[in-house]
Amino acid sequence: MNIANFSQMLSFIKPELAVSVTILVVVVFDLIFNKNKKIIPYIALLGIVVTGYYVIQQYALSGTAFPTSGKYGMVTVDAFASFFKMIVLIATLCIVIFSYYSDEIIKTQGRLGEYYTLIFGMVLGMFVMISASDLILIYLSMELMSLSSYVLAGFTKLRTRNSEAALKYLIYGAISSGLMLFGISLVYGMTGTTNLYQLNAALQGADVNLYTVGFALILIFAGIGYKISAAPFHFWTPDVYEGAPISITAYLSVASKAAGFALLMRFLKTTFVTYVDPHGSWQLFNIFDWQTLLILISVLTMTLGNFAALWQDNLKRMLAYSSIAHAGYMLLGVLVLTNKGVSAVMFYFFVYLIMNLGAFFVVMIIANKIGSENIDDYDGLGYSSPFLGVTFGIFLVSLTGLPPTAGFIGKLNLFVALLDKQMVVVAVIAVINSVVSLYYYIRVLKHMFLTKRDEKISIPVPMPAFLFILVMATTTIFFGIYFTPITSWAQNAAAILHF
Amino acid sequence: MIHVSLTHYLVVSAFLFSFGLYGVVTRKNAVMVLMGIELILNSANINFVAFSKFGNYGLNGQIMALFVIILAAAEAAIALAIVLNIYKTFAHVDVDKINNLKE
Amino acid sequence: MLTEFGKIFVFILLAGLFVAVGIFTAKILRPHRPTKEKLETYECGEDPIGTPWVKFNVRFYVVALIFLIFDVEVVMLFPWAVTYQKFGAYGYLVGIIFLIVLFVGMLYEWGKGDLEWDRPQPIIPYLHKEEEQNK
Repeated sequence: MNIANFSQMLSFIKPELAVSVTILVVVVFDLIFNKNKKIIPYIALLGIVVTGYYVIQQYALSGTAFPTSGKYGMVTVDAFASFFKMIVLIATLCIVIFSYYSDEIIKTQGRLGEYYTLIFGMVLGMFVMISASDLILIYLSMELMSLSSYVLAGFTKLRTRNSEAALKYLIYGAISSGLMLFGISLVYGMTGTTNLYQLNAALQGADVNLYTVGFALILIFAGIGYKISAAPFHFWTPDVYEGAPISITAYLSVASKAAGFALLMRFLKTTFVTYVDPHGSWQLFNIFDWQTLLILISVLTMTLGNFAALWQDNLKRMLAYSSIAHAGYMLLGVLVLTNKGVSAVMFYFFVYLIMNLGAFFVVMIIANKIGSENIDDYDGLGYSSPFLGVTFGIFLVSLTGLPPTAGFIGKLNLFVALLDKQMVVVAVIAVINSVVSLYYYIRVLKHMFLTKRDEKISIPVPMPAFLFILVMATTTIFFGIYFTPITSWAQNAAAILHF
Repeated sequence: MIHVSLTHYLVVSAFLFSFGLYGVVTRKNAVMVLMGIELILNSANINFVAFSKFGNYGLNGQIMALFVIILAAAEAAIALAIVLNIYKTFAHVDVDKINNLKE
Repeated sequence: MLTEFGKIFVFILLAGLFVAVGIFTAKILRPHRPTKEKLETYECGEDPIGTPWVKFNVRFYVVALIFLIFDVEVVMLFPWAVTYQKFGAYGYLVGIIFLIVLFVGMLYEWGKGDLEWDRPQPIIPYLHKEEEQNK
C-alpha cells in the first residue's frame, strides 16, 4: 500500500472524516472559548452542512475500500449508504434545532460542548455502521454509537429518571452487544473471515453445522434487534425514551433506528444472498431461515408495541411504544427479501423521520411550558393553542397511516411489497395493527380538542420553532400527495452493493 | 501429556459465557452485572484468539481481541461513571429497585 | 496407566478429600454455642455502621477512569509499532493521526481541570494568645 492508494481510499470515507474533524473542532473550540457556548450549535450546523456536501458527492460512487485481506474492503460505499447517511444527517440537523429550543438542554448550557461532541460521536458511529461490510467494523461502530448514546441518555441529570434511563440503556445495550460479539466470534471460527463478501463466498457450499450457524446468527441478530428495538429485545425502549432528554429520545427513535435497519439489510444482502433474480427477489442460502425468523419478530414487535401503547398516559412513553410498532412495520419491508421491500423501508424511513420528529418537537414545545408529558395535561390545548393542536394532529394521523398524509403512502408501499410476495396473512395482521394504533393516536387528539379545561394556557412558540413545525407539517402533507421524487430516489438507491 | 486443542479453549469460553450470562441475570448489584458483561466479552475474546491460532485464519482474530479489550475498558469507564451517578441519586445500586419509570 | 495430568488429578482429589474430612470431623467435635457478640462482624466491639460504599473523594474515580482509558489506548500502538515500517509513510501517518486524536483527548481533560488534584486546605489551629494574655 502506498500514499496514492491511501488517499484514493480516503475519498471513500470523506463524510466520516468530516464528522471526525467536526468532533475535534467542537472539543478544541469548547476548550479555547470556554465562556462562549452560544457559538457551538453553529459549529455543529457547519459540520453538518460540510458532511452533507460530501455525502451528496458520494451518491454516484460505488465500491469498497480498506481491504484487510483479499480484494473486498471493510467499508462499502453505494447509493444505499448515501441515502441512509442523508437520513441520519437530516435527523441530526433537526436535533440541533431541537436542542436549541429544549429547556432541558438550555439548563445544562455549561456542558454544551460535551453534548455536541457526543452527538457527533453518535453520527460517526452510525455513518460507519451504515457502510460497514466487516463484522469487526460493525461491532466497533455499534459500540461507538452506543457508548455516546448511553451518556446522552443520562446527560441532563435534572431528574432521577435521567440517570435511571442511562443505567437501563447501558445494561441492556452492553448485554446485547456482548451476545453479538460472541456470535461474531463463532462465525469467525466457522468461516475464518469477518468480511461480509468473503463470508458470502465461504458460506457458498460450505460444510457447516446448521445448529451452530443458527445459534451464532441469532446472537448477532440480538445485537441488531436491540438497535432497532425489535420485540424480544425492546425492553429498554419505553424506559429510555421516557427518561432521556426529549431531544435525545427523538434522535434515538429515528437516527439510531435508521442505522440499525441499514446494517440489518446490508448484512442480510451481502452475506446470505446467492443471486438477485430479475424481479429483484433475493435468493438466500438455505443454511438459516431468515424469512421465518423475521416474520415472527415483525409480527411480535408490532403487536406488542401497539397493544402496550394503548395503556400509556405519558406521551413520551406512548411515542416509544409507537416507535416499537413502527419498527415492526418496517421489518415487513425487510422480511420480503426483495429490492422493492428495501425501497419501501427507505421511503418509510424518510416519512417516519419527518412525522416522528415533528410529533416529538410539538411535545417538547408543550413540555417546555407545562413541564409535563402527561396526556391529562393536554386537555383543551387544541383550543388554547390551535396551531400546535392542528399540526400535532397532522403528525399523529400520519403516524397512524391515514390518507392524505405521507404515512399512508409509506405503509401502502410496505403492504404492496408484501402482497407481491403473496404474504396475505402477514399483511392482514399489519392492517389490523394499524387499526389498533388509530385508537391511541386519536385518544391524544380527543384530549386536546374534546375535553374542556377551566384555566387557559397559552403556549409561546418562538418564530423559528413555528417555522420548523410548519415545514414539517407541510412536508408531511406534501409527500402524501406528491411522493414520486422520494419513491424514485429510494428505488434508485435500493440496490445494495453485492458481488 | 494431554494435547491442549481448540476444543479445550472453546469449552472454557462457553463456561465463561454461561457464567457471565448467569451473573447478568441473577445479580442485583449494578457493578456485579457489569462484571458479568465483562465475562461475556472475554469469552468472545478467548474464542477469537483460539480460532485465530488453531484455524490458521491470519491475525484478524487477534486484532479483534485487542479491539475488544479496548472497547471493554471504554465501556467499563462509562458504565462506572453512570453507576456512580446512580449512586448519587438513589444512594444504592440495586438494579431491581431502580424502577421509577415502570408504570 | 495414569498420564501426567492423571497424577495431578489424583492429587487434587486427595487434597479435596483431606480438606473435607478435616472440616467435617471438626464440625462433629467442636462445641456449638453462638452468642450475639460472637456473630458480629468485628468481635472486638466495633459496630459496623452504614454501607460499605464509603464516600471516597470523587477524584479517585476520575483519575482511575482516565488512567484506564489511556492505559488501554496505548495497546493499539503495539501492533502499529511492529508493522508500520512495512507501510512506510502511510503507516507513519496513521499512527500520527491516532496520537493527535489521543492528544486532543488529553488536552480536553487537562483543560477541564481533571488532572488537577484539589488539595484540601488544612485549617491550621490558631491560638488566640493575645486575647488570653489580656485576660
